[in-house]
Amino acid sequence: MGKIGRVDVLRAPPGTRAALLGNEAIARGVIESGISVVTGYPGTPSSEVIMTLHAYRAHELGIYVEWAVNERVAFEIAYGASIGGARSMVTMKAPGANVAADPIVSAAYGGVEGGLVIYIADDPGPHTTQTEQDTRWFARMAGLPMISPVDPDEARKFVRAAIELSEALKLPVILRSTTRVSHTVGDVVFGEAVEPVRYRGFKKDVKRFVRAGMSWNRERHAWLLGQLRKAEELAVEKGLVSSEGSGDYCVVCEGVACGHLREALKSLGESVADRVKVARLGMVHPIPREWVRRELGGCRKVLVLEELSPYLEISLKAVLHSTDTEVMGMEEGLIPSVGELSPAHVAAALNSVLGRSGGSVEAEAQDKAPPRPPPLCPGCPHRNSFIALRFGLAKAGYSPTKVPVFGDIGCYALGVSPPLEAIWTEHSMGASISMAAGLKIGGFEGPVVAVIGDSTFYHAGLQSLIEAVHKRVDLLVMILDNDIIAMTGHQSTPAWARTETGREARPVRIEEVVKAIGVEHVYVVDPYDIDKAIEVVKEAVKKPGVKVVIMKHPCALWEARVKGVKAVYRVVPEKCTSCMACVRVTGCPALYVAEDGKVRIMEEDCTGCGLCARYCPYDAIIRVERG
Amino acid sequence: MAQKVLNILIASVGGQGGLTLSRVIAAAAVAEGLRVRTGETLGMAQRFGSVMSFVRVGEEVTSPLFGHGEADVFIGMELIEALRRIPYVRKGGVAVVALTLKPPVSSSLGIAPRPSKEELVKELRRALPSIRFVDAVEEAKKIGNYRAANMVLLGYVNGLVGMLKDESVEAGISAILRPKAVETSIRAYYRGKELAKE
Ligand SMILES: Cc1ncc(C[n+]2csc(CCOP(=O)(O)OP(=O)(O)O)c2C)c(N)n1
Ligand code: SF4
Ligand code: SF4
Repeated sequence: MGKIGRVDVLRAPPGTRAALLGNEAIARGVIESGISVVTGYPGTPSSEVIMTLHAYRAHELGIYVEWAVNERVAFEIAYGASIGGARSMVTMKAPGANVAADPIVSAAYGGVEGGLVIYIADDPGPHTTQTEQDTRWFARMAGLPMISPVDPDEARKFVRAAIELSEALKLPVILRSTTRVSHTVGDVVFGEAVEPVRYRGFKKDVKRFVRAGMSWNRERHAWLLGQLRKAEELAVEKGLVSSEGSGDYCVVCEGVACGHLREALKSLGESVADRVKVARLGMVHPIPREWVRRELGGCRKVLVLEELSPYLEISLKAVLHSTDTEVMGMEEGLIPSVGELSPAHVAAALNSVLGRSGGSVEAEAQDKAPPRPPPLCPGCPHRNSFIALRFGLAKAGYSPTKVPVFGDIGCYALGVSPPLEAIWTEHSMGASISMAAGLKIGGFEGPVVAVIGDSTFYHAGLQSLIEAVHKRVDLLVMILDNDIIAMTGHQSTPAWARTETGREARPVRIEEVVKAIGVEHVYVVDPYDIDKAIEVVKEAVKKPGVKVVIMKHPCALWEARVKGVKAVYRVVPEKCTSCMACVRVTGCPALYVAEDGKVRIMEEDCTGCGLCARYCPYDAIIRVERG
Repeated sequence: MAQKVLNILIASVGGQGGLTLSRVIAAAAVAEGLRVRTGETLGMAQRFGSVMSFVRVGEEVTSPLFGHGEADVFIGMELIEALRRIPYVRKGGVAVVALTLKPPVSSSLGIAPRPSKEELVKELRRALPSIRFVDAVEEAKKIGNYRAANMVLLGYVNGLVGMLKDESVEAGISAILRPKAVETSIRAYYRGKELAKE
């Protein structure tokens, strides 16, 4: 006890106890499973696995750990490593699995040599994801084993379990978690580290790795089904499914629901807990059918606790259809099918099944506080870009509110809130350009704008741009290049000359790429030079075909962190007339209205961009050097 | 600790250090041999949004969440966020709130109410008469690290509740904070403890 200092998540000896985030625990799991290649694309709540490996310098332990340009490329890198015998991992959020779906599904036929873990984080709630997608169906569709831990410590252990399963079955294994596992801190006890397993040989085997032969594909399909039957047995052998207690009331749980359940049972007291049998499904695909029949076939009622969709419930109903067992859960409305599960939901469902009163879930109390949707940071260059777009369009003679602006995924989507209200859509990575093109192709007459971030452009915007250029669509594309993946916590992009691990890289420059595709009108401007940026938009929007404006300025939050803030701005109250121009134009969260009705600046939040001062008609906002 | 599990709710604005506070408490609890679960909403944390952390500490904890009326301890780092989350406090729970006001953009634009500090304090008192307020940022500034307001609040709360031993908190601080900030954070923690006695 006393001063323990920082625990080195990767190097601390076995037996070390630490409070780790689920994703940090998974990073530790990488060390304990001999994984030598880790790649992925950032996405909440999955990003901290690679970020932790970076922070603790996993590359110095002989592990390749780098971000890739998108999820499918990331998966293919991990897959290539693993058919050569290396143990590998790829990380992504749920929508990333959609992007990587094509190669993942084929990998179920080719199979692996070195263990391959596909870490996918779902987001019931949702807290930070475009949909409440349930990736468990994806495992069934692809025909891949999927395991799902209940808490951070089990997430650590499941990395090892996934590698072992993967090598035993010669199949990629999906390690699936949810926000309340990935972003929960829990007590974790470290296990033994294992040397990273690298290339062990790659034999030419076309039946296995060439998907062009249809009879080979049928053969591999049959092989896959056989492996999945083995997986059902392995789930039981390896303790990935378990049960405790006895009684004719049974509860099946998965993931964080098991944690809620344990406490709910405790609070109901021994008399109830003694009547209930609990079955935990750590493996959710394939469902170990024998085991389920044996463990649950004798139950009168089975309550299934899960999130996002009744995946387990439907699966168990199918397995138990010829018994008298009544399976219930989400389909019967006992637990919610939208949003995340709370301990109160679990208690209420339990009570209802046991025929007890109480435990209803009260509606959330009314929120009296003013809402606080996340704004763009003070000094965010995206704010300037949106203002330049609005004023540039106006100067070119268009009514800015009538020009459809197709947004994309990233911090700039926060520009949807007042006062900017800058985007009309935000759909999926890269969709801004292709959807904008679609509107034009469909017959829209006026100008159309697509706004896309640098990382999103590399990820999937590139192909959209090729399409728009090739079909000569009239389109203004604004690439907001802040030199980083900001929204997901600041990761590198292909423009970096050095990655997080210090690896020397060949910068891939957006301007060169765009020109090479054949865009004739390419502009690069710093949106902090707001008046010039406005002029550029005004000029560009009139040009025919696809024109690209690259708005280039580093992420303000990142710059402030790396370089510090040298000057801030301050309101001179005597000069402020309360006209609110600064607030209405910028919506900068560092500005606020004081009790005297005049504007003030929270100086600890101001990054000194000067935008508010530019739009103050009375010169009431002045620059102050920071001492 | 009197109870089996202690439920702590931290309400803050992204960037204020609410997540760091939750990590320090978790690390301190583990240093003390206890078990812990937190529920965070990471991902938008640095972005001036509304942030809430659940922290649960005890001999046996398996769920990271709890509901309204179930927080034994409530730490508010900002007045509006405190008001938003105050329904989580249980009857007889302990709440400490920083006298910091960060109006959201919607208030400044006049499309949402713009409550004053006094109104918010009054509103919070009405919700929970025993609530305590402390000028945590001012106190942290005096120590020379305004970011340590979260540690002032932790000290204050621990002074009232005695949920963690001082040496565990020190261990938690040195496990989580950047080495440069450890010393001022520990001082901020003890300053908060002192204030709780006043
Ligand atoms: C398929 C998919 N992968 C990952 C994400 C997570 N994600 C959200 S925004 C973003 C990147 C944004 O980067 P950039 O376009 O550079 O914009 P910035 O946030 O830097 O402004 C990512 C990776 C996602 N939503 N969907
Ligand atoms: S993190 Fe960077 S890009 Fe994102 S809103 Fe803040 S300043 Fe803008
Ligand atoms: S200078 Fe003005 S607009 Fe820029 S960060 Fe500071 S307060 Fe915000």
